[in-house]
Amino acid sequence: MTTHLLARELKRGSTELLVLALLEEQPRHGYDIARLIDERSQGSIVYQVASLYPTLYRLENRNLIEGRWVEKAGQRRRRYYRLLPAGRKVLASQRSVWEGFFAGLDRVVHLRQA
Amino acid sequence: MDWNRIVREAFDGRLTPDADVIEELAQHAESGYEAARAEGIGKDEAERRVRELLQAWSTDPTMLTRRPRRPPAVVPPKASASGLAGFWGDLRYALQLMRRQWTHTLVVVLTMALGIGASTVLFSVVYGVLVRPVPWPDADRLVRLYETRQGSTRPMRFMTNVTFLAWADKPATIESIGGWSTSRMTLTGTTDAERVNVAEVTSELMPLLGARATVGQLFDVGPAGTLDQQQVVIDDRLWRERFGGRRDALGQVLRLDAASYRIVGVMAPSFGFPTRETRAWIPFVVKPGGISMFQAIARLRPGVTPAQAEAEANARGRAAPDPGLVVVAVFGSKGPVQMSVTPLVESMTGEVRPALLLLLVAAGLLLAAATANVASLQLARAMNRRREFAIRAALGAGGMRLARQLLVENALVGLVGGGAGLLLAAWLVRGLPSLLPSDFPRISDIAIDWRVAAFSIGLSLAASILFGLAPALHAGRIKLAPSLAEDGLAPVGGGTRTATARARLLLMAGQVAVAAVLLLGAAVLGRSFLALISADRGYDPSHVLTARLPLPDATYTPVRRAAALGRVLDHLKRVPGITAAAVSTGLPLLPGDTLAAFTMRSPRDGGTVQVHTSIRHVSPGYFAALRLRIRDGRGFTESDTAAARAVVVVNRVFARRYLGETPVGSRVPAGYKHDETEAEVVGIVDDVSNGAVTDPVAPELYRCSLQLSDGFDDDVPSLIVRTAGDPARLVPVLRSIIGEEDASVALESVMTMENRLATSLAKPRLYAILLGAFAVFALAIAGVGLFGVLSRIVSLRAREIGVRTALGATPADVVRLVLKQALAVTIGGMAVGLALSAALGRYVSKLLYGVTQYDPVSYGAVSIMLVLVVLVACIVPARRAARIDPARVLR
Repeated sequence: MTTHLLARELKRGSTELLVLALLEEQPRHGYDIARLIDERSQGSIVYQVASLYPTLYRLENRNLIEGRWVEKAGQRRRRYYRLLPAGRKVLASQRSVWEGFFAGLDRVVHLRQA
Repeated sequence: MDWNRIVREAFDGRLTPDADVIEELAQHAESGYEAARAEGIGKDEAERRVRELLQAWSTDPTMLTRRPRRPPAVVPPKASASGLAGFWGDLRYALQLMRRQWTHTLVVVLTMALGIGASTVLFSVVYGVLVRPVPWPDADRLVRLYETRQGSTRPMRFMTNVTFLAWADKPATIESIGGWSTSRMTLTGTTDAERVNVAEVTSELMPLLGARATVGQLFDVGPAGTLDQQQVVIDDRLWRERFGGRRDALGQVLRLDAASYRIVGVMAPSFGFPTRETRAWIPFVVKPGGISMFQAIARLRPGVTPAQAEAEANARGRAAPDPGLVVVAVFGSKGPVQMSVTPLVESMTGEVRPALLLLLVAAGLLLAAATANVASLQLARAMNRRREFAIRAALGAGGMRLARQLLVENALVGLVGGGAGLLLAAWLVRGLPSLLPSDFPRISDIAIDWRVAAFSIGLSLAASILFGLAPALHAGRIKLAPSLAEDGLAPVGGGTRTATARARLLLMAGQVAVAAVLLLGAAVLGRSFLALISADRGYDPSHVLTARLPLPDATYTPVRRAAALGRVLDHLKRVPGITAAAVSTGLPLLPGDTLAAFTMRSPRDGGTVQVHTSIRHVSPGYFAALRLRIRDGRGFTESDTAAARAVVVVNRVFARRYLGETPVGSRVPAGYKHDETEAEVVGIVDDVSNGAVTDPVAPELYRCSLQLSDGFDDDVPSLIVRTAGDPARLVPVLRSIIGEEDASVALESVMTMENRLATSLAKPRLYAILLGAFAVFALAIAGVGLFGVLSRIVSLRAREIGVRTALGATPADVVRLVLKQALAVTIGGMAVGLALSAALGRYVSKLLYGVTQYDPVSYGAVSIMLVLVVLVACIVPARRAARIDPARVLR
């Protein structure tokens, strides 16, 4: 039970972190975000694409990111998301949490000894 | 492929996300599909992947909602709270609601501000001009005196020395009587020469008004009642400008028109009688003998009515010595004296009174329309809050409790709206002096003081209680079960069958009626104004520059003046661009005609006819400069000199009234030498409206200024110049020519004739513009209000419309449904409004020229305009109704 809950929390936390980190670089639309997660992790992050949009909407509701329809010449309009100041703060704090987590893990398990 | 449709179908049977979300997901699906195909994956496999994605998304659609950002919920006050604590709770709740529903609040506050602002401005004007006491003690006993003779048709504007002296001797009904006349004089001395307004006043006048000098004293009356004629009282501004506000100004000499006056006193800045522009007061003695005209005022004894004073004045005037034929020249009649005694305020403001009251009513109507609109909005909001009220009622809040809550909410909105209106009014009132015509009475008495503010706040509260009443009653009557059960599933036809919808439609019809009344008023006033502008006045005001040229008696004898004028005219005629130039003793729209009376043999029956006419001395170019139409014979020429035979020109009224079948060639005893000699009528000129176009045209006789062997005796002649181009561009030329003639002379009242005309029409123009502005506001309020009500009804009837469409109604049928409802409201309101206008018409008729209050063009135009505005207000709701998808609303 506990492990199940932890797994869910980790997964949700990691999806949020991934989205926020990708939006830190520049505003992106949903498909772009999904594609980049897949590309950059080289498929190693097994990631439920179905949870992307609920995550985006949740972040938007919490005022961490903001979505806007943008129309570019010759293209269909797309909804671009950008990081809001509150999102930037959350990203920074999550980063440090994850860094602490990995550092701890590293010290115990020696992840990088190879 | 229609990806939107594919995604929507994936959610079929479950909660469908917003169109926004569908679109976003569809794009993702499409991009994924295309990317897969680009990688060389087969069609079936790519579609399978997309289906997988759709499957994943549609498992929990509740996760796919993007909620609008929302402030925390507002918690209503406790049901049990009563007394002061309950009131504060209600107030806090109302404030929170106002903030939360800020667009609604903004619309309501702005609508109220407009209505209250307009009413407050008009109230402050009406109060300041018509009601506020004039600043003199016991002002209600001050009366203006106007004299005429029975049988006279001339307007009464003055009093004669004959009646004045007869009445001033131990009167029974009045305490005292004072007279004055005004003139412009040249002030010379320490600085540059300056033309100033001077009042000649009898020694009784200022004490009669209860005025005191702030420095020095009023006129020094000698022991035997003799008055030193060489004293002057100056106003505060002149004292500060010329004498630096020093007390040693007393006793110094003031030079006015080359005569010396000893300064005896300074008046307070607030005195301002007879006008605010009066800079100095010099003594005026009413002398017996002959006839002289001036303004007069009296103070009634306590308890005496104006009618009693009138009776005494008539008796005294009729017993006074008869001044002879000159009375006919002045009054156009030799009947017995007829005095008119009018309260001072009324005489100052009588002219603007009907218009101001009309505008006040119009502002009241605008406020009524605004209130009705807000009532309709509040009612709609109360409808939307039925669930809230029902739940609160279920939790124990009584009908009274909820009604109180609503009244507090509405009073708050009303007060905020009223406060905004008061601010708007204060801002507008500050700009009034520059907006109102300069001859508007008592401009300086118009202000927003505590009375006006109290009126405004009271009005806002009354209005807010009015518009809060309907929702409060509504809340008091809420039935629990239907309100909770209905919840938006209105029965077919529910849009109009609820009491609320009916009330809102009724309010809308009322607003249309108000808009119709105001539009109609504005239309007839506007058309009347256009008729005034384009009325044939007998002269052509375009391309004419006019000015007055003071050549004071102190430096100019009439002969010298005539010579100077001749040189100026010669000079002007040589200027390129000037097609005609003339001087005269008078000008249309300027007061100051010479009146004359004489008897002559009637050419018709040989009997004696008594002639009274105004006489104007003009140079030969006068008729051409103003483009008067010579109907018969000729105008004056340069050869009509003193050496030639004496000739005159008369207007058509003169010819019709006093001359025979062939007026040209008749002789009138109005020649150039002391009226004894005769002159030949050589021309008949068309009638000219010298004053308002509504005044009847009086007989007029023109003499040629070149034939005046005694010279030009008017010390402020008028100059008239007709130009080929823009007359205003010749002003510097005119000034330099005058400067060359006499550097000490300054032109006065330099204006194009068109400007003079526009200034004389400033009041009707102002009334038409104001009423027009009110009408536009009322129309906008009605249009926006109707849009709101129709939109609401369409959304309430969505299910019904869906059923109709499903049963085969075309979009055109649906649009017709909406239009029918809107037009029913409009035509009902319009019928009431037009009927009301017809009933109110007679109050406007006094202000009209050239149109009647039943002007069919105005009625037609207003009807068409209202229907057009309503159609525009219908466009969006009707389109929305036509697009209702039965599949969605009937699900």
